[in-house]
Amino acid sequence: MPLTLHAIRPCFEGAVPAVIATCALDGTPNVSYISEVHYVDARHVALSFQFFSKTRQNVLENPRATVVVIHPDTGAQYKLAVRYLRTEDSGPLFECMKAKLAGIASHAGMTGVFRLRGSDVYRVESITEVYGTSIAALPARSAGAAELRCCMARLSSASDLAGLLDALLDGLAAHFGIAQAMVLMGDAAGEKLYTVASRGYPQSGVGAEIRPGEGVIGTAALARTPIRISHATSEFGYGRAMREDARSRGITAGIEQEIAFPGLPESQSQIAVPILAGERLLGVLFAESAETSRFGYDEEDALAVLASHVGAVAALLEERDDAHEEAPASAQSASPEGAPLRIRRYAENDSIFAGEDYLIKGVAGAILWKLLRNFVDEQRTEHTNRELRLDPTIRLPDLSENLEARLILLQRRLEERCPALGIEKTGRGRFRFNVRRPVRLAEIPR
Amino acid sequence: MRGMTGDKRPDPPLDSDHAAFIQGGVSVVVATRDADCVPDLVRGCGCRVSRDRRRVTVLVEPSRAGTLLDDIAANGMIAVVFSQPSTHRTIQLKGSDARVVKLSAADRAIAARHLRDWSEDLCRIGYTPEFANAVRGAAPRLAAIAFTPSAAFQQTPGPGAGKSLVP
Repeated sequence: MPLTLHAIRPCFEGAVPAVIATCALDGTPNVSYISEVHYVDARHVALSFQFFSKTRQNVLENPRATVVVIHPDTGAQYKLAVRYLRTEDSGPLFECMKAKLAGIASHAGMTGVFRLRGSDVYRVESITEVYGTSIAALPARSAGAAELRCCMARLSSASDLAGLLDALLDGLAAHFGIAQAMVLMGDAAGEKLYTVASRGYPQSGVGAEIRPGEGVIGTAALARTPIRISHATSEFGYGRAMREDARSRGITAGIEQEIAFPGLPESQSQIAVPILAGERLLGVLFAESAETSRFGYDEEDALAVLASHVGAVAALLEERDDAHEEAPASAQSASPEGAPLRIRRYAENDSIFAGEDYLIKGVAGAILWKLLRNFVDEQRTEHTNRELRLDPTIRLPDLSENLEARLILLQRRLEERCPALGIEKTGRGRFRFNVRRPVRLAEIPR
Repeated sequence: MRGMTGDKRPDPPLDSDHAAFIQGGVSVVVATRDADCVPDLVRGCGCRVSRDRRRVTVLVEPSRAGTLLDDIAANGMIAVVFSQPSTHRTIQLKGSDARVVKLSAADRAIAARHLRDWSEDLCRIGYTPEFANAVRGAAPRLAAIAFTPSAAFQQTPGPGAGKSLVP
């Protein structure tokens, strides 16, 4: 069987530098190292263009080149006869290579030196194994189909978005051994992503926000492509610098509080995969590990398949959610007991505090305030998604806004931070707002 | 020295530091091209530099060399890059008079020492000796390619990459 690019994908992880030979039209050969040879598809690779070099000058005038890559596990060398096609300096391929290069640079002690100017796309015309350079046969790849099947079965049994996201994270842990993962959902305006579910962190971090373009997660959202790094990098990680940035932004608003982003302090490998429903970005699935090179092309494939299934199922659940709204059931919530809880709302950004504790802000904050007002003014505890969607005070940016994700966020924040209040689903498209202590509401105007 | 020996030729592009560097535990990658300007390349097994530093000989394993030895015989054009894995220090030499020469008595020992030194350097940055041996591959046979470096470039990643070694 002839060698395929697919079979040697580990060579394109950037673990071992590749070399390229080119030739000027005057017949002078040139040989150079390449930091990143990226697998594009079964017929194409892309090389990182970082410097205006002789290599680059040569391929622009004579597109035929030879690349040798090394398999990071077996040491086998593969020679690729390639032909330069074009350079991309923006878009998914570029963003993906840029992030990966940042990880490679960090590993090589070249942060700040390696900077991606473009992705040079080459067609691969032949692949040959260099004679006698391997310690072992190419390892049989685990296609991951069995694991995927188990995960998909969990997803398909979910009856709501919260269950779907839990099934996804539990499935990753059970079948792929991915212990640290989270799902962030995006708002329709594309202004931020907020954590709605996580596994494997001391704090769930539900409610923590990331702006598109920020780190691995934000880049995956903006470029709508999987982003993966194999070594910790300050450029794309969400490390301390980002947390400090978040803190400083929190202070500027005076009243705004930031929920700490969950995450491994010693994170080395990270992968973020966009969750799309058709053209619409629903969110991002993110996983990380303290191990270097934990996520390879196979894991990227698996997570991409799962994310696309989650996107499709989530869209389906949204439709069902609207179709099945029923009349509220009779009130059955317990009557509030104990000392009154003082709840403040700052009109400026809909941020809500219970006592001195920051709870939530934004759309989820507006929803909570409406639920509290309904409880205090009308003693009403039964609600429907539809009523929230139509309420002008909640200011949902538009109809495609994922209300269900906001409710999950709110429900989980209350569970974690304010057990006196709670959201309990009572059926598809409806829920009960439980108030277990008397509440005193105070509005703080702008 | 030049005046004393009466040698009127320009200084060789390699100084003694460069000569020591390319004969140490560095990756050696040799490139050629055929009549259609299609390049080929092979990882080499070591290098030796003549006493006057005007002649460089690189060792390759012929069964891995693809069209490279034929290319050399046909046109003599060559480029060789030398890079130290642990530091990324890299230089490239070019020549137009390359030819396959007879192995010297010392070449087998040069290849063995090169493997040892290169493997040590790779192990410094976390690779195993097994991996280094695999990449270098067994070299049951060797071929020697000699050329006169006509140009030498610094190629360590960074702003100075591509500059000539001789100002």
